[in-house]
Amino acid sequence: MTTAWRIFAASWKHFARNLWIGLATVFVFTVALLSVNVLIATNVMLEQTVAYFEEKIDVTITFQPDTPEALLTQARFYVQSFPQTESVRLVTPQEAYDAFKERYKSNAKILEAVTELSVNPLGAQLIIKAKETKDYPFLLSAVRNPQFEPFIRSSSYDDHRDAISSIRDAARSMRLFGSGLVAVFALFGLLAAFNAIRVAIYTQREEIAIMRLVGASSAYIRLPFVLEGVWLATLACVVTALSVWAAIQVGEPRLQTMFAGSDPGIMAFYVANRSFLVFTQFGIMAALSAMVSWIAVGRYIKR
Amino acid sequence: MIVLERVSKTYYPDSVGLDDVSLRIEAGEFVSIVGQSGAGKTTLAKLLMAEEPPSAGRIEIGGWDITRIRPRDIPELRRQIGVIFQDYKLLPKKTVFENVSFALEVAGATSNHIRDIVPQVLMIVGLEDRAKRFPRQLSGGEQQRVVIARSLVHRPKVLLADEPTGNLDTMNTRDIMDLLVKINAFGTTVVLVTHNREVVNALKRRVIILKEGRVVSDVAHGKYMLTV
Repeated sequence: MTTAWRIFAASWKHFARNLWIGLATVFVFTVALLSVNVLIATNVMLEQTVAYFEEKIDVTITFQPDTPEALLTQARFYVQSFPQTESVRLVTPQEAYDAFKERYKSNAKILEAVTELSVNPLGAQLIIKAKETKDYPFLLSAVRNPQFEPFIRSSSYDDHRDAISSIRDAARSMRLFGSGLVAVFALFGLLAAFNAIRVAIYTQREEIAIMRLVGASSAYIRLPFVLEGVWLATLACVVTALSVWAAIQVGEPRLQTMFAGSDPGIMAFYVANRSFLVFTQFGIMAALSAMVSWIAVGRYIKR
Repeated sequence: MIVLERVSKTYYPDSVGLDDVSLRIEAGEFVSIVGQSGAGKTTLAKLLMAEEPPSAGRIEIGGWDITRIRPRDIPELRRQIGVIFQDYKLLPKKTVFENVSFALEVAGATSNHIRDIVPQVLMIVGLEDRAKRFPRQLSGGEQQRVVIARSLVHRPKVLLADEPTGNLDTMNTRDIMDLLVKINAFGTTVVLVTHNREVVNALKRRVIILKEGRVVSDVAHGKYMLTV
């Protein structure tokens, strides 16, 4: 117990008396963590952008004007029954007609042409939203079965096919690129932190050798350095967390203009994943500091 | 008692540090090991501290064969031998009190014991009023006295002093030597490694002279002659 307390106290004294080396190490740790967090935030924004565009996608199936209402209802329940379906909305011919008139209310010629017709020329529409863009082809082929096919006049999927495909490809690429970039920056950050500790311990190599000469065991020399490494990682994580929080508070409202007034989702992401993000980043940094300290001190413990 | 039996130390590829040295130092003796630079004095000190293993031969300290000492046992040996260095080897970020107490802490001494013994030892070396100072705030002589205090806290049976006056002026040299003689008078075996002829001759104690890694003279109440 006494020894544990001495090691704990020595780590704090050591940190306080080597403040500049400690702060320099904390600075390197913080820069490494911040660079990773900037990429995480960028990745979140990319995801939000992709999600925004995906949200805009739906497929409209237009039926013949004389399609029985029972069949339309049946088609709606049929599509609704698939797990890939997010939502299905049935637009009646009258609703489609009203929407058409509303859309072209400023175009007198079109309105006049429609009014001259004695019957509603528009058919009912089934507006389908899939959970994922890749599910649209499946849902469309499911609707186009022999039961419903004769009544289907057109589907808007053909018009949107290229756009859907492009967004899907872009989303896949962005996610892959973003994850890769985060991994690369995390690796660079770890290397920077690794070397910062090595340099900090190198400057104290003579002290380490002296401790050994006066009879300190290997563990008694190493553990204060290991603990000090954990304190440095903790401090760097606190500074990083405060910096990230402040940056989001200041930056996110300004980013809303890029998202047509909607939330870029960075703060929401950090709040939702706070435990994972804090423990992962702190855990990796603390474990790295402890491990590197243990190894680096060992280099200067001679016989 | 310190025993060296046919001890040799060679450094890669063919540099000889010690060559077939046999010695026997009795408990309570004050022995000066002298010689010119490269004679093997520091090599001998390093072997006694187990800083290096011998290439051949056997070394025994207080009945403990340290020839092939395991690395994990070295701290225990160091706690039983007080060592004084020419360049002091104080921990620069620790105060005088902490430097001395560190030697006790590593041995697992209780806080009460440390609070009792450290002031006593600092008083013996005349530094009781410097306890809160850092090494950089002390003179060379004071730093060397801190080292002596640190080496004494374990009440070692053997005190190994490797060129303890090498960086000191005449006045401080005399103070340090008086301290070593006093420590020896309390029964501690003192092994003084030095090339300072005046210091050795003033002591009038046993002198072992090394030359090119070999013992060329071992005189009970000897002098370190200029001609050697």
